[in-house]
Amino acid sequence: MDLHPTPEDRAFRLETRRWLEASVPRGELKTPGERRAWHQQLYDAGYIGMGWPREYGGRAASPMRQAIVSDELARINAPPSMNQLGISIVGPTIIVHGTEAQKRRYLKKILTAEELWCQLYSEPNAGSDLASLRTRAEDRGDHFGVNGQKIWTSGGVNADWGLLLARTDAAAPKHKGISCFLLSMRQPGVEVRPLRQLTGSAHFAEVFMTDARAEKADQIGRLGQGWEIAQTTLSYERGGNSLARVTRYAAAFGQLVRAARELRRDGRPLLDDPRVRARIGGIYADLEVQRYAALRVLSALEKGESPGPASSITKLSYSEFEKRYQELALEILGPWGQLTDGLPHDFLEIDTSSGEPGSWAHAFLWSRAGTIYAGSSEIQKNVIADRVLGLPREPRADRSTPSPRSP
Amino acid sequence: MNFAFSDDQQLLRNAARAFLDERCTSAVVRALWDDPRGESDALWKEMARLGWLGLALPESAGGSGLGMVETAILLEEMGRAACPGPYLPTVLAGHALARAGSAAQKARWLPAIATGDARASVAFLDADLDWRPEAAQTRAEPAAGGFALTGVKRFVSWGHVADLLLIPARGPDGLGLFAVEPACAAGLSVAPAPAMDLGTRWATLRLDGVPVAADALVGAPGQAGPLLEDLLRRGAVGAAAEMLGAARRCLDMSVGYVKVREQFGQPIGSFQAIRHRCAEMLMEVENAHAATYYAAWALDAGAEDAAVAASVAKAYVGDAARKVCGAAIQVHGGIGFTWEYDLQLYFKRAKALEATYGDGDYHRELIVRHVAP
Repeated sequence: MDLHPTPEDRAFRLETRRWLEASVPRGELKTPGERRAWHQQLYDAGYIGMGWPREYGGRAASPMRQAIVSDELARINAPPSMNQLGISIVGPTIIVHGTEAQKRRYLKKILTAEELWCQLYSEPNAGSDLASLRTRAEDRGDHFGVNGQKIWTSGGVNADWGLLLARTDAAAPKHKGISCFLLSMRQPGVEVRPLRQLTGSAHFAEVFMTDARAEKADQIGRLGQGWEIAQTTLSYERGGNSLARVTRYAAAFGQLVRAARELRRDGRPLLDDPRVRARIGGIYADLEVQRYAALRVLSALEKGESPGPASSITKLSYSEFEKRYQELALEILGPWGQLTDGLPHDFLEIDTSSGEPGSWAHAFLWSRAGTIYAGSSEIQKNVIADRVLGLPREPRADRSTPSPRSP
Repeated sequence: MNFAFSDDQQLLRNAARAFLDERCTSAVVRALWDDPRGESDALWKEMARLGWLGLALPESAGGSGLGMVETAILLEEMGRAACPGPYLPTVLAGHALARAGSAAQKARWLPAIATGDARASVAFLDADLDWRPEAAQTRAEPAAGGFALTGVKRFVSWGHVADLLLIPARGPDGLGLFAVEPACAAGLSVAPAPAMDLGTRWATLRLDGVPVAADALVGAPGQAGPLLEDLLRRGAVGAAAEMLGAARRCLDMSVGYVKVREQFGQPIGSFQAIRHRCAEMLMEVENAHAATYYAAWALDAGAEDAAVAASVAKAYVGDAARKVCGAAIQVHGGIGFTWEYDLQLYFKRAKALEATYGDGDYHRELIVRHVAP
């Protein structure tokens, strides 16, 4: 056991920090052009898709190097790069399951964000029970005709392409009749409507597909292999980036302490109130434990171990922590915490972990999403119970039943 | 960066698990409940033979020169077995002497600790439960040839079997730490303070002008504060390791039980209410593992955040172990509430440790002092 970074990793961190300090844009990036320029700068410096194999434009960087870069980006509160779903999920899926032609066609443009991607998974009636999805793709000789509706599609409004799960065999058991496709979002059969969240912004979309066209060349894996492919994808989503997340929490913690010095109760700074101190000490302990746990996961990844179902423990832990953290912050900040604009500097949130700088109010509202997306806390507990603890499965009616019919 | 144990550390754990599974079964633990000493000399001597008692002592004193990570591994296994005995207090007293003791004190005590011939403890606490070292109220008044100690110390772990007691007391130069041998200390009475965990033994020390020689002082006069803070940190991490072991045992027993216990025609482990509770228990245990060993490593490495990490470990693992051991009783139902069933061993051990070496609130306050000075 030795938690010191290696001298090489320490040097790499310093080099990354120096590059970022010299290069990071000052102020918010307002136009798509500015965001694209920043993405290009990160790409040219080798900080995009670092974990991808070299032959596909990545750096084959170790999990530690990737974590260091995310962590340094978080530390300096850099604007987010583009196409994060494409780079973290779609690209790796194509690399593992795609054909050579698909790799040549798509991967480079994912990295450079020339083509933006979204994930077409959840449906109005297929959330936690994703395998009950009803969008169907019918073989029409030279292509598949896609009909159905997707929802909670992050980045759907700007996406050029979507990674689609659709049913190709209605007679097969529900997990076996699903296939995976790359679907162009820029076609007449695809309509995208922004979906406004309770944060007020529209990060998600609804996607309606009416005789949309998925080319035969854009099928990923075999027919009926879609569920299996989605499982690998979901575990990417539950895995990495925990260290950077903790760095953002820690930066925000500093802001919370500053606020607790400014605010007063009974004529004294709130920070001198024993009740507040006990809770601040408790949340800091909780925050540090998330960091230690992230280091432990990272250490396993470094050894080439796949976290597998254990990544559900990490996801459950940090997302539930984030809610406790934001709830405490808003208790301490009182009405200040609910302002969306006009905050004094000391009370400003540094990063909302949604990748957008903003207010505590925004961060508080966003914390409600973490225990729902990428498998709700309840689903994570099921995964832990089934696949880590080996508990007997719940009695379920749908294991061998045929798939639901399209409406 | 490597969060996993080395091969040697893993071997140590495996050996400890095998030894305790065989020699410290719950039947052995229960038999010691009725013993006035509450611990087994045979077990203690075997631990010495295995090198556990000198594990973290310097090689020059007959020890192995290992650190807090290895100590925590042993303590986790002892917690898993609810093993009774003065292991942690003896380790702490040994560390105090190795760090600050005089050559004579080291020669007198360290080899004896390593061979299992001496047990020791540290009297951290007065009756008012103020864990801050500077709060000590016991007095060290100058007397012929040294000092006379007067005061009352409470909740001294295994004080009744200690051959050496380290007692903080306030003298003319400030806070000092005094090495007292109960066997030859006039005016010292040691009384048991029976507690709900019969495998945890606390003692009350009454000192009525106990004469100690000037050379009984451990470290420089008036300088005991930082040493005691260091001991409390190590005690906190050691207690966290032991609570982690108790919690993991409770989790393992629960998972085993809910797989075979049937109600409504199926194993109760197939019901979501039970499955989710077990998943939460595992999350707490894994987080407690990360907290305990991060802190142990930080102490060994002299990391900048070692003090905070020790407090984080004690505060977090205390809460986690309470939740996990309590949840274990709940998923077991009635059987978990019986005297005969072993869950009570681990549930009570975790509770005893939660209240010692600084409780959660004490450590949360220390955290705030470090991170929001």
